[in-house]
Amino acid sequence: MLDEWSTSILNHDPMKLYRAKRDASHRSVTSKYNILGFISSGTYGRVYKAQSYDEEGTIHAIKKFKPDKEGDVVAYTGISQSAVREIALNREINHENIVALKEVILEDKSIYMVFEYAEHDFLQVIHHHSQTLRAPISHAVLKSLVYQLINGLLYLHSCHILHRDLKPANILITSKGVIKIGDLGLARLVYEPLQPLFAGDKVVVTIWYRAPELLMGAKHYTRAIDCWAVGCVMAELASLRPIFKGDEAKLDSKKNVPFQRDQLLKIFDVLGTPDEKDWPGVVDMPEYQSMKRLDHFANRLSDWCHSRIRATQGYDLLRQLFIYDPERRLTAKDALQHKWFQEEPKPTWNAFQSVPQHQIPPHRRITQDEAPSMMPAPQNTSHQGHGHIAGAVPFGQSHSKPGSSNSFASQSGGAAYASGGAPPSRKKARLG
Amino acid sequence: MVDRATLAQARYDDLQYVDDPECLDFLAIYFANLITKLGKKLQFRQRVIATATVFFRRFYLKNSYCETDPFTVIAACCYLAAKAEESPIHIKVIVAESRAMFSQENYNVKNFSSDNSKIAEMEFYLVDDLEGDLIVFHPYRTLLSLCRKESGTHASSSNSEEGEADEGPGVGIEDGPRYWGTGEGQLELTSAALQTAWSIINDTYRSQLCLLHPPHLIAIASIYLTFILHPPARPDAAHTLDQDHANESSPEHPTPARQPRRSSRQANHAPSHTTSPKKPQDPIAFLADLNVSLPLVASIAQEIISLYTLWDRYKEDVSPEASKLARELTNSPMSSGASPLKRTGSRSESGLASTSGGGTPSAENRDDTVDPEGNYITPAFLSSVLQRMREAKLMDMAPRPVAVNKRLERTLAAG
Ligand SMILES: Nc1ncnc2c1ncn2[C@@H]1O[C@H](COP(=O)(O)OP(=O)(O)O)[C@@H](O)[C@H]1O
Ligand SMILES: [Mg+2]
Repeated sequence: MLDEWSTSILNHDPMKLYRAKRDASHRSVTSKYNILGFISSGTYGRVYKAQSYDEEGTIHAIKKFKPDKEGDVVAYTGISQSAVREIALNREINHENIVALKEVILEDKSIYMVFEYAEHDFLQVIHHHSQTLRAPISHAVLKSLVYQLINGLLYLHSCHILHRDLKPANILITSKGVIKIGDLGLARLVYEPLQPLFAGDKVVVTIWYRAPELLMGAKHYTRAIDCWAVGCVMAELASLRPIFKGDEAKLDSKKNVPFQRDQLLKIFDVLGTPDEKDWPGVVDMPEYQSMKRLDHFANRLSDWCHSRIRATQGYDLLRQLFIYDPERRLTAKDALQHKWFQEEPKPTWNAFQSVPQHQIPPHRRITQDEAPSMMPAPQNTSHQGHGHIAGAVPFGQSHSKPGSSNSFASQSGGAAYASGGAPPSRKKARLG
Repeated sequence: MVDRATLAQARYDDLQYVDDPECLDFLAIYFANLITKLGKKLQFRQRVIATATVFFRRFYLKNSYCETDPFTVIAACCYLAAKAEESPIHIKVIVAESRAMFSQENYNVKNFSSDNSKIAEMEFYLVDDLEGDLIVFHPYRTLLSLCRKESGTHASSSNSEEGEADEGPGVGIEDGPRYWGTGEGQLELTSAALQTAWSIINDTYRSQLCLLHPPHLIAIASIYLTFILHPPARPDAAHTLDQDHANESSPEHPTPARQPRRSSRQANHAPSHTTSPKKPQDPIAFLADLNVSLPLVASIAQEIISLYTLWDRYKEDVSPEASKLARELTNSPMSSGASPLKRTGSRSESGLASTSGGGTPSAENRDDTVDPEGNYITPAFLSSVLQRMREAKLMDMAPRPVAVNKRLERTLAAG
């Protein structure tokens, strides 16, 4: 006869034995990492700077996905599509210009993704040049940044992955000047999709970087949308401000995607209004009629580039990334072969190679986290704000005391796994 | 991929709680059937069902049936697979459908929770046990890149929505080489043959094959078995993998009118063919030309046949297709000839070619494929086996009045 204990487990908590076993073998985030400070809060979660207790005390960025809440209680409500994507895709890829995922820890109803740490990002570099140095990014640096960005994108595309959210904040740079594409939260595999891309996410790409076919309501789109975004990023690096800084028309109450009039106007203002000759498919676009009602513009990209990217070849690359017709737009593969990259100054693997030490952008500023969940108790203030003194304080130096940040999270719930280094080659074989 | 020793190790604990080890194989069929049914109910495409099944199998490489609730795991696998395949469904839907299905009389699972968070929690642990490895490659892709319908239209570009073999738009000819090196050219199959190959692949998920062999080899084994069921229409077509393909270069092949005419691939490999572009494709030669181990393919085919033999003794509402395939394969002339299939043994003596002519076995004579005792394994029986396993396991684990289990108790309390 079954005892009460067993009966109750079978009837009310059939996974109890399993859970107990898993939790017992779990190694918590704080037992493995010393949380140094808070970096940024984004759409899907919060990013922290952390130092590993093992190895050589390597620095990492830990992205904690927001746990879902039901009322005030944190509850299991299902892993977000974005986290599933980011975990799944990151497990499959391995490339110098893509930020590497070191491990994923599932703990306390939250997901922690541990990435290699990148000291800078494009947004910060742009800001540094426009606000602090008040000088443009040098030609050599610009070229290296764009080259490595395209190199990473080519890898993603060859793995049949669309990034779908390329923008300066998602493109990171290590302290060694190596570009790392990050944030695969919107990325997806387009090899044999079971549903049309449009069916999954109605809106992709941050508005300023969104390709014209998306703005025109295309139901089908391709990797060319990422190449458009690269063009926008390149122009922004060159001019230190977004090239097409339109106002986004918000979804209406029925979640219909509105016509993005202002964004299109900003694009037409520089590139001219597209016609059937430039883009034969434009007449079939859902928003074609709305577009025809807009004022007419002529192309003045060459003028725009004249004062911003002096090199003719630089202009030519940008022109080809901004081809309206997605089928004729430059691919990542062809972009990488572009003449601009073959002429002097050649792109370098350390993008900052030519930059004098004092002009290198500052280290990431880290702060105390307002949300108490991940950070050590407030009295531990030594982490605060040291990062902005350029190159002065080696990161993580004074706060590696083990056990100093154990206060968040109980030991229960979840377990960790290490994906350790390069994914096994069978994965690469599976993806391409 | 794992080896058999790892598989055996994974079932070690479960083995302690069953009388007959075969029960575990039947459970494997049972669970896969449940996933398929639930998937169909949720209107999943075949690939999502396959992914969910692979998740389930991988999970039970690390865990035992008796220590978990496989029904909760099934629901979570379906929920997660839908996301991994970018066709998510709401958690409420999966919980409601699972509950409705599992509580049906023939499954007899009474206590499936209606609490969403139970499935969400399971999903969380599942991702962890799967080590984040959520992108799964299936044999369907290989099938579609190797084969196409003889009509000349590419299998995947045909318009029929019902035909499952039409799954996966975008498998272009240009995608084939990514998996097949330089292999140009595709094998042309009748749409019936393509459907058969597709169904055989579906069926392989009832076993552990997806853990033991890479998907492309499973696909090739399925194509191989398809040839046995749909032999090319010519007398000497009966040569098999372990014969070398000397026949291939023989110029005496008749050219049956129905045979598709493709030669590009063979032309590149067999000079004698370049002069006769109207040569029909030789399927076995085609497979032999792929850069894979044919003995391995043959042994996988053998394993698939064993699965059908086992499956024949299991009765749910067996898909007519499956039982037909089971019958045809085990009765196939191939299985008694000088082929690797001859070890299928038991039934090949009965009525040799009776069904190989393409005739569908009628419902009445289906019964003669059942073992003499007429004992079927049913879902209800397996549910009760599982229940007993879990109860016995719990009895072993239950906290005793004595202090021996204090530690375990504490662990459990913490959970
Ligand atoms: N590996 C990293 N190293 C350093 N900082 C990072 C890293 N990953 C992300 N960040 C910082 O956190 C921000 C948000 O991260 P991201 O992955 O883009 O999340 P979200 O989906 O919330 O946008 C980035 O813009 C960047 O400033
Ligand atoms: Mg981001």
